[in-house]
Amino acid sequence: MRFMVIVKATPESDKEAALPDPELLLEMGKYNEELGKAGILLAAEGLQPTSKGARVKFSGKSCTVTDGPFTEAKELIAGFSILQVKSLEEAIEWVKRAPNCCPGGEGEVEVRQVFEMEDFAPLLTEEQIQHKVRARAGLPNQTANK
Amino acid sequence: MRFMVIVKGSKESEEGAPPDPQLMHDMGKFNEELIKAGVVLAMDGLHPSSKGARVKFSGKSRTVVDGPFTEAKELIAGFWLWQVKSLDEAIGWVKRSPFSSHAGDSEVEIRQVFEMEDFAPVLSEEQIEHKVSARAELVGQAKK
Repeated sequence: MRFMVIVKATPESDKEAALPDPELLLEMGKYNEELGKAGILLAAEGLQPTSKGARVKFSGKSCTVTDGPFTEAKELIAGFSILQVKSLEEAIEWVKRAPNCCPGGEGEVEVRQVFEMEDFAPLLTEEQIQHKVRARAGLPNQTANK
Repeated sequence: MRFMVIVKGSKESEEGAPPDPQLMHDMGKFNEELIKAGVVLAMDGLHPSSKGARVKFSGKSRTVVDGPFTEAKELIAGFWLWQVKSLDEAIGWVKRSPFSSHAGDSEVEIRQVFEMEDFAPVLSEEQIEHKVSARAELVGQAKK
């Protein structure tokens, strides 16, 4: 099963032009390498502060673009990784071993199961599912259930 | 430049009901267009938060809270990773997505992704190269 591990942002991580603390970067790097060697880590990315981002809201036929930064830290994410594990419990165990992204304070990580194309079996034909699987297989950074 | 294009959660995505077939169809066509344009690096949808959990970090302690989580606005329903020339180009593509022609409200957040070279102010050249090759190996492994 694949799980997305979502690292929530903090006011510090989202400061304009903020760069992660180098010690944290290196500690995370070591942790990710351990996961990579165990064949568990499929992808990992950090996100730049929301000052470099935007939101697009759709309401009926209208859409509104709002430039960052965004202030509600609880709604923001700072990064994510994708893990290949046997269960939610296993994903949680690995996450608990991660370095604390906010050594001085509180951090939060959300763990969510990723849809596999086969999960759409009630809605799509086998052929449609395989079409989707093939389309994804060609993508440069796509991760897939092993 | 790489961007993570985040589809925010909604009451519908959290209910776990099957997606509207027309939206699924239109999204499939949109994705094909994006892929043909060489924009898509990766994409995935997420199961409702009832199948997930949160881990709170406080110093050395870890607390686990099971889903579901109620504030749909704080949740992610799915994402793409795109390669485009600018934030404006990413916004342009998002505006053309099927969300614009379907009933109901949707929100998409566009965030630039860090490249290892962005850490040049805080890491040495060697440390950056080490991270770059670790990443390359990850991508290679993930695609096997």
